[in-house]
Amino acid sequence: MTSRRGRIRFNVGGKIFETTATTLANAGRHSMLGALLDDSWNPRQPVEGEAADAEYFIDRNPACFAVLLDLLRTGELHVPSNMPEKLLNREALFYGLLDQVRAARWGPFDGNRLQLVDSVSGRAPGDGTAIRAGPDGGCCVAHGSMVHVYDWMLEEHRPISLDYQQVNDVGYIDAESIVISARERLGKGDGGMGVFSSSTGELRHRLRVSHDNQVKSFTAGALSLGSSDYKIFASCKGRCNEYGIGVWDQITGQQVDFFYEPPGCSLGDADKLQWLDGDKCLMVATLFPRTDNCFIGLLDFRDKSVNWSWSDAGTSVSLSLDEKRVLHAIAIEDSRSICVVNQYDDLGFIDLRSNAGGVRWSSRSKLTNRKAPNEESCYPKLATHNGQLFSSMNDGISVFCGPEWVLTSTLRRSYGGSICDFSIGGDRLFALHSEENVFDVWETPPSLTI
Amino acid sequence: MSAQKKRTFKIEAFKHRVELDPKYAERTWKVLEHAIHEIYNHNASGLSFEELYRNAYNMVLHKYGEKLYSGLVTTMSGHLKEIAKSIEDSQGGLFLEELDRKWGDHNKALQMIRDILMYMDRTFVPGNHKTPVHELGLNLWRDNIIRSGKIQTRLLDTLLDLIHRERTGEVINRSLMRNITKMLMDLGSSVYQEDFEKPFLEVSASFYSGESQQLIECCDCGEYLRKAERRLTEETERVSHYLDVKSEVKITSVVEGEMIANHMQRLVHMENSGLVNMLVDDRYEDLSRMYNLFRRVPDGLSTVRDVMTSHLRETGKQLVSDPERLKDPVDFVQHLLDEKDKYDKIISKAFNNDKSFQNALNSSFEYFINLNNRSPEFISLYVDDKLRKGLKGVSEEDVEVVLDKVMMLFRYLQEKDVFEKYYKQHLAKRLLSGKTASDDAERSMIVKLKTECGYQFTSKLEGMFTDMKTSVDTMQGFYANQYSETGDGPTLAVQVLTTGSWPTQPSAPCNLPAEILGICDKFRTYYLGTHTGRRLTWQTNMGTADIKATFGKGQKHELNVSTYQMCILMLFNSADQLTYREIEQATEIPAPDLKRCLQSLACVKGKNVLRKEPMSKDIAEDDAFYFNDKFTSKFIKVKIGTVAAQKESEPEKQETRQRVEEDRKPQIEAAIVRIMKSRRVLDHNTIVTEVTSQLQSRFLPNPVVIKKRIESLIEREFLERDKNDRKLYRYLA
Repeated sequence: MTSRRGRIRFNVGGKIFETTATTLANAGRHSMLGALLDDSWNPRQPVEGEAADAEYFIDRNPACFAVLLDLLRTGELHVPSNMPEKLLNREALFYGLLDQVRAARWGPFDGNRLQLVDSVSGRAPGDGTAIRAGPDGGCCVAHGSMVHVYDWMLEEHRPISLDYQQVNDVGYIDAESIVISARERLGKGDGGMGVFSSSTGELRHRLRVSHDNQVKSFTAGALSLGSSDYKIFASCKGRCNEYGIGVWDQITGQQVDFFYEPPGCSLGDADKLQWLDGDKCLMVATLFPRTDNCFIGLLDFRDKSVNWSWSDAGTSVSLSLDEKRVLHAIAIEDSRSICVVNQYDDLGFIDLRSNAGGVRWSSRSKLTNRKAPNEESCYPKLATHNGQLFSSMNDGISVFCGPEWVLTSTLRRSYGGSICDFSIGGDRLFALHSEENVFDVWETPPSLTI
Repeated sequence: MSAQKKRTFKIEAFKHRVELDPKYAERTWKVLEHAIHEIYNHNASGLSFEELYRNAYNMVLHKYGEKLYSGLVTTMSGHLKEIAKSIEDSQGGLFLEELDRKWGDHNKALQMIRDILMYMDRTFVPGNHKTPVHELGLNLWRDNIIRSGKIQTRLLDTLLDLIHRERTGEVINRSLMRNITKMLMDLGSSVYQEDFEKPFLEVSASFYSGESQQLIECCDCGEYLRKAERRLTEETERVSHYLDVKSEVKITSVVEGEMIANHMQRLVHMENSGLVNMLVDDRYEDLSRMYNLFRRVPDGLSTVRDVMTSHLRETGKQLVSDPERLKDPVDFVQHLLDEKDKYDKIISKAFNNDKSFQNALNSSFEYFINLNNRSPEFISLYVDDKLRKGLKGVSEEDVEVVLDKVMMLFRYLQEKDVFEKYYKQHLAKRLLSGKTASDDAERSMIVKLKTECGYQFTSKLEGMFTDMKTSVDTMQGFYANQYSETGDGPTLAVQVLTTGSWPTQPSAPCNLPAEILGICDKFRTYYLGTHTGRRLTWQTNMGTADIKATFGKGQKHELNVSTYQMCILMLFNSADQLTYREIEQATEIPAPDLKRCLQSLACVKGKNVLRKEPMSKDIAEDDAFYFNDKFTSKFIKVKIGTVAAQKESEPEKQETRQRVEEDRKPQIEAAIVRIMKSRRVLDHNTIVTEVTSQLQSRFLPNPVVIKKRIESLIEREFLERDKNDRKLYRYLA
């Protein structure tokens, strides 16, 4: 029915559309429209003229079809103000054009061009634990004993919980699987980790810890997901001093390793784990206020050794008010350093190449008007993405670029109170606010076609 | 609040479902199921894609995804079972055709089913951890068709049988084979490997094991290798035609293992056609084939190399120890060079210029050349021969080629100092007798030796050249000064040789004839007048002379003789007959030299300007000599050589050897002192190794000699033994 001069006529919900085969080719073979026009569904008509008059009938909303057809024609998405986004997304899913819609909505992530696109409020009041961005643009929010999951259209899925225990950390294995670490429940014999389906919320694997072939109950803290070798790392605290880092396989959910805490290093209480792909080792940071002294170390699991470590124990003899405490840390593999932040939002850097070096603070605090520390303020967090460094402070997020980490942008909005956690992924940045249970979604607008 | 919200939502959903026709799901599924049947029955033209897609969409939307999915599995399995039956029923030869056709149908149907269920594939499948439709279709095909009891073995047998038939020369339908193996690969690499590749490799192994057994019994080595090579190319070709690319390595390694690795020793040592025969007959093509095939298997090349090495050593040993060969040094060296050329050519033509083979060749030559301690002398003689006459009329490049080859042999020598000794002697003879064919070639050889062994090695040789040049200048100066007085008298050409540069044996000068003596004295006066503080000694044993002689019937000849011979002949100017003793008294030529001179003057046919009585070959002390008036020759110029062996005689050889040994002593001592000076204390064995490594470039010192030198140095108080440990030596500063 690809008629004369490659023109194709549709009747969508009673409205006639005419377009060309070239335009429809943009939909791809693996879309509904691609299959509709495929030869296997269109046996050759014996009479040429008969085909020319025929049209394809589709029993769908014509207004949405118009928008999507326009998307196929121009690559741009223009949604009329009276058309709910949900409606358009549903229609796009029907035609198999959701990927095109997504790509037209926002572009590749750039910290300096972010725009606030949405604020999503949750059900319960403030004090979220963590927010994590999924690889496809969705996110999940850990809140008390629940994890709320949102897809990239910001539709909420079924919430997840691990027997309603206090959730400590969450992470995406892939767009379909989420791992949750939770506090051990007293009186129950098992502990706190599971892999769940993000779309249905069902439990796929329970991650257990065995010591001497005996399954032990434990509290799981911070998580890290190794991208190259499909492993899950988590800091674990067992009942009988089985402190350390547990390792599981992402696919089977089986425990594959355990790094017992060596004396002088606190691993079981770690606040932050980060797998370093280049060095094949795990960064572990145990920070104030969980412990009085900060410890940061790089663990090599192959020979169970601590490759590198740094601690502020001993340096902080005088407990003066002005003392700078490391509150969060992140390893930047490209510059072979670890970036840390203190309670005054100063950034500091520790060189990974030397073992003795201290923290090199770059004093940002003088530039910003320091707020009087009150009870509402949250501990600062750090993140990196594509050579950009992000640091949250109070109700804003600062973006730093370049080898010297120059402040280039600040993301701030005045509603929801200070930011207790944020995460970057799927070309989006999600910021979770502490006072109201609301999270902001920041995107880079798609680059304009000139 | 939130709990209430949740509940409301639930009620709505429930209501919604109630409104729906309870049979809705069943009815919708029936439509889809029917469509699937129609698709499999090639009856899809009446189906509306839009309608089917919408139906499938609605089922998923209304939470009947599970029903849709399980229905698909059941329906598709049902069809595949039917297909399996029709494939099973196909007649022998048509089995593969039927399978291929059904596979094509299934793929097409699968594509259309996937189109209809696209929405389920996108939403329901990932959320519920199901297998996507396409993969599901392949898995069901695998389980219902490929691995069904009646088809699995039949398929494998058919495939293996076809391959066997192709191996035995039949033509098979390759495109059909290609389709079938492609199907197995599409089903996943594990299916291809488990269901086909593994048994295929096993069958191939037994096939080639049998064939190689059979071939090795009836073929010679070359033919066997030709066949093995052809089999290998056949297998690679087969892979490119209808197997997975990854199978190539596996199947070729099977062929290599069965046909080559298992028969390696037997092939190499095969009687009348093995490696040795190939080497002897220069069968480059066979050798190259052997190299290329053996290279593929572990230890293959080392086997070839070892056999070549032992053969080379064996033949080389025979060559250097064959007494017949030793008679002609030039021929001897030429044989070595030819042998080297032969193997160089084999390695470059057949062995891919393999470095390890070149090394084996070099070490073999080094081994057997040094088995004969006359090799240095012979090589020097070869050069001597070439530089005297061998290179006349040869272009410069070819001279270089010959010299380079000689240098190659020289490199193999362990006793380079012996070579130097001989080379010096031979060069001296060439220079003094003016027999060098080309000055450039001589210098080129010296440069080569210099680059090989360093400045020290050739400094004396270069000194010889300098002497020759200054002598020419001196003679020019002499005659320019004495022009008036030359007149009729003899012309003198003096070569002034620096003592030490030349291998001269000190010998008392003979009595020169008065005519010569006069001009000699003039020269001496002239020379000492221009160079003060020098001493001239006449080396009469090394000179030559041209003399004019008139025989009976007025025949005039120019005789080219040595200085000694000239002295003898001049005596006959004043006498017709002289006895041996008279000659000896008059000339004071040392007896052995005199005998040799007389022999060449009187006993060589055609050159016998003297007559001896009694007539015999040997010279006795009471022989008498006459001027041979009847001497005739068709040449005006007659060259009278000295009866002197080119090759050294046994006592001379002993003497040279002794001189070499003597020369080595100070070198060894110098090396010991050098080492001890820097190390102060050393044990015996270390000294021996260090000395050996220091002197290796010149010769291989004998440990016993080193020990003697150490003892001598201890005696002379250069060293002492350690008082506690007798094995240790100390350097005494």
